[in-house]
Amino acid sequence: MSQNELSIRTPLRRDVATGKRKLRESAGVFICQIALLAVLLGLWEMATASKALNTFLFGSPSAIWGFLVKMWQDGSLVRDTSITGLETILGFILGNIIGTLLGLALWYSRFVSRVVQPFITALGSIPIIALAPIVIIWFGTDLASKVAMSTLSVVVVALIIAYKGAMSVDQDQINLMRTLGARKRQIFTKLIVPASLGDIFSGLKLTVGFALVGAIIGEFMSSSEGLGHAIFKAGSLYIIPKVFAALVATIALALVLSFVVGKLERVLIPWRQHD
Amino acid sequence: MISTATSSNPEAATTQGGAAPLVVSGIQKSYGQAGQRAAEIIADITFTLGKGEIVSMVGPSGCGKSTLLNMLCGITPLSGGSVLWRGEALAGMPQRVGYMLQKDLLLPWRTALHNVSLGMELQGLAQGEREKRAHSMLNKVGLSQFHDYYPSALSGGMRQRVALARTLAIDPEVLLLDEPFAALDFQTKLLLESDMAQLVRREGRSLLMITHDVEEAVSLSDRVIVLSHRPARIRAVHEVDLGVDRADMMAARDSARFTEYVRTIWSQLDVRAVTA
Repeated sequence: MSQNELSIRTPLRRDVATGKRKLRESAGVFICQIALLAVLLGLWEMATASKALNTFLFGSPSAIWGFLVKMWQDGSLVRDTSITGLETILGFILGNIIGTLLGLALWYSRFVSRVVQPFITALGSIPIIALAPIVIIWFGTDLASKVAMSTLSVVVVALIIAYKGAMSVDQDQINLMRTLGARKRQIFTKLIVPASLGDIFSGLKLTVGFALVGAIIGEFMSSSEGLGHAIFKAGSLYIIPKVFAALVATIALALVLSFVVGKLERVLIPWRQHD
Repeated sequence: MISTATSSNPEAATTQGGAAPLVVSGIQKSYGQAGQRAAEIIADITFTLGKGEIVSMVGPSGCGKSTLLNMLCGITPLSGGSVLWRGEALAGMPQRVGYMLQKDLLLPWRTALHNVSLGMELQGLAQGEREKRAHSMLNKVGLSQFHDYYPSALSGGMRQRVALARTLAIDPEVLLLDEPFAALDFQTKLLLESDMAQLVRREGRSLLMITHDVEEAVSLSDRVIVLSHRPARIRAVHEVDLGVDRADMMAARDSARFTEYVRTIWSQLDVRAVTA
């Protein structure tokens, strides 16, 4: 087996070399990203300072920074961000659990999945904002309605991803399980579910964004706190820099959430090869 | 279901009744709805796989060889004829039949060891017992150092060895193989063929292999069945007598009559008709 041992070691050595090269490349990419951001902000600031852009309508980086500092000092930045974060996380978890369980369960019965398919398509085609009035009537104007909005924007996507994942398992693999004596339940638990995890986790990175959108829309409709509320209120009062400040907080929240989900994938799917 | 009692001694379970492990008579397969003109894949195939025999089926590509194998193990229903496993009509999945394809079909989230123990796990064997047997199976196929590797860290030949170990771990009386070594390089293929021939012959298992590789078929088998182009029929049957140790693939390929068999079978394969 000496030949086989060799074929295992060679790629490892190559991995170290490509790893170093990749690291250097990522550093370069990061520096360019920072530079691009600095240039854009600089141009914006210069344009508003020289009155080429109307500060009242377009805000300015320095004014946005000022509002961020102010919102940090009066505690509203942390409060609004954590409220929206909580709504997003709850909606994300609920939506994914419900959607994934339903999607995987549909693998069990070809008949049931064919029956419900048009209904799923119909549900998936509803713009989430159109559901907001009903959701507020059913769930009130507190946390529950935002979580419901967030859940709704996640659930159909999660369902479709899990179902597609389950249905794309190699038929030869299923046949092999059968020749090894597997019953349907065993094929489900030992093959279909783990084989779909890759797709489900890729879906998580997608749905974390949808969950945030749902929560913000919920806050737009009716709320007394949260980043969506801050954006809506500042917008109504024409405080444009404050709108941007809340937007910056929203973007930061989105980045943190997708970073955490990405980390989660690495921990939970260790056999996957990551580039 | 296999049990621990029979697993240690394959002889004990196979001698009962004395029927040949696999008797196939006049099986047919055609696809298509009633009323429409059906596409006939397999016309009429009859053969017997005796205990401890290695039989290969060769045929031009696209002649329905893989369909045939799927019919034998109950994955694809028959359109006609009968399949008897140990004298009993095929009902669902036959027991103690190992199935191996060109694709290794290892589960990427399981280590080599846990891939090998999959079949035993499905059949409800205790964890200690199945890990012990998976260990010894991996050692037998020469992977004693690689128990805890995920498939993604193994070479193609090693993955196919793990697949072979998984197939043998359920203690099959009969192995059904569909081009198991077709994706491997020549050297690895010869090594794996030799190891498999040894394991199968030593333990008195029967083996039915489907391949398009005539040299592989002749060097490995006691009997080679040549199939015609679609719809598949049996065109010729060759009892292979090379007069050498049949677990040694190099010796088999070096033997005096090897080339003669290969040439005869090639001429019967009718390969030129395939592209028509």
